[in-house]
Amino acid sequence: MTHDKHEGKHDHDHDDHDKHDDHHHEEVAEVEDYPKDAKEESLKSELLTLNMGPQHPATHGVLRIEIKTDSEIVSEAKPYIGYLHRCMEKHTESLDYRGIIPFVDRLDYLAAMNMEVGYALTVEKMLGTEVPARATYIRTLVSELQRIASHLVAFGTYALDLGAFTPFLYAFDQREKILRFFEEISGARLLYNYVWIGGVWNDVTDTQLDFLRDFIEDFEKELDEYHTLVTSNSIFRDRTANVAVIDLKTCLAYGATGPVLRGAGHRWDLRKVQPYLNYNELEFDVPVGGDNPEVGGMVGDCLNRYYVRMREMRESLKIIKQLLLKFPSGPIMGKVSKIIKLPKGEIYMRTECPRGELGFHIVSQGGKEPYRIKVKSPCFTHVSILPVVGPGLMIADFVAAVGSIDIVLGEVDR
Amino acid sequence: MKNSIEQQRSPFAQYFKNIFDAITSTYKGMSITMGYVLTKKPTSIEYPEVREVLPKSARMRLYNDALNCIACNQCAMACPVDCIYITSYPRPKDLEVPKTSDGTPKRQVLVQYTIDTSLCCYCGLCTTVCPTECITHSQDYEFAQYTLGQFKYDYTSDDIIAWRDRILGQKEN
Repeated sequence: MTHDKHEGKHDHDHDDHDKHDDHHHEEVAEVEDYPKDAKEESLKSELLTLNMGPQHPATHGVLRIEIKTDSEIVSEAKPYIGYLHRCMEKHTESLDYRGIIPFVDRLDYLAAMNMEVGYALTVEKMLGTEVPARATYIRTLVSELQRIASHLVAFGTYALDLGAFTPFLYAFDQREKILRFFEEISGARLLYNYVWIGGVWNDVTDTQLDFLRDFIEDFEKELDEYHTLVTSNSIFRDRTANVAVIDLKTCLAYGATGPVLRGAGHRWDLRKVQPYLNYNELEFDVPVGGDNPEVGGMVGDCLNRYYVRMREMRESLKIIKQLLLKFPSGPIMGKVSKIIKLPKGEIYMRTECPRGELGFHIVSQGGKEPYRIKVKSPCFTHVSILPVVGPGLMIADFVAAVGSIDIVLGEVDR
Repeated sequence: MKNSIEQQRSPFAQYFKNIFDAITSTYKGMSITMGYVLTKKPTSIEYPEVREVLPKSARMRLYNDALNCIACNQCAMACPVDCIYITSYPRPKDLEVPKTSDGTPKRQVLVQYTIDTSLCCYCGLCTTVCPTECITHSQDYEFAQYTLGQFKYDYTSDDIIAWRDRILGQKEN
């Protein structure tokens, strides 16, 4: 707007010069000698290189994004990873299969249970171990609880990114209850080493399950509060609706999974498509972006990705309720030899973790240590979408985009 | 869908709609906050005065009861980060073999049993393989030190007994 005004004013002056001031005519002629588009070109500013991170609070960890900005608008975004690299994949080659579990925890430290379940299922599939029913139920229970805990962090920090501090505290208050339950059953708050090959470490007592029942009742009310506090907030909607649209084509081209893919409107959830654990016995919906027109925004924008997560929490609650109704009794560990030796061969198995598809590719040469373990992490593919999403966004919107993708760097770098 | 409606609205109407939205959102948010202020108890703990009661299964600093240890080296083998250092030698044949509290003969003489707590990842794998269940996780989580070397605890030394008595005394209280 200012640019146009300025030009209009200049033209007006120019006319005045022509009519009245003959001695200024030379100056005007000089201006006319310039090529006509010279003014616009000279107004374009140089690109400013800006480093977001590695310690920028909005990047959720040590992710560094080098963005080139034209004034306020991002024209190029380039993520740099590797600040949290711990050589996990290489390290596993010198460990036995039980000793790998503490390392697997540290992949996605916000969803350690899901990581353990994914790894344990992969090894068990290759060993051909039968897992007792109670252990399977406990595994489903903890992975759904962990999904809620992880989405609560995503929700809280996303609100924090957009300038709202209170939802963060409410979310962490509820997450604390889940972590308390995990601490009671496993002994640790964040890195559990709870799901073992063949079953789980400790049994869950009835008092602990009663604690969960109370939690579910509380949490359903809390979720409604979150929707009134954040989802229906007009500032939040303005910041997220129609911002950073990742369409289905980009998602499929880059291999995005999880809430990013579902936010783009594709109903793909491994719990439904390739049921593992006992998900085929349970009833739940897979929320996708755009199936609820009241949400607003475009399919695949920040608001829809956020809303998919919020609805997944409710679906997880539904699953936990069904699990608590028919909790079987029995042993919690299957028969596994003292020294685990995998047969010679390869295996790839994937599970649905809160951020998307987690795959373990294990190559064994028959020893008690793996030859190679390759982890397919969802966040790594999501980081690679950032250069596509970034251009054209404002810097503040770019922060919103990074937050809505929900990256955990432990999983990206491994 | 909502977007198309917004585009049809005149700028004048949109201006007042925005003001109305802002007021209602603020009202909704503040009513929830006031509900928290009036009804909910504070969840934070004033740490040094009030300490959280940990669950019994909590995995904090490792403790090895050196009197019951048979120096079988299984914990050191199970440790994924190799933070347990054990030195022992076979007991001379002419000496009488002492027994642990559960009756396992101690065929090795334990000279040194050190755990580098700064390397430990608190996974608990060492406690699961121990045949005499002498290595356990204590409830002590306050052991900050000035240097990394101070994190190496030798569980055959005397000051460990004093530490254990302090921790066990806390547990009973």
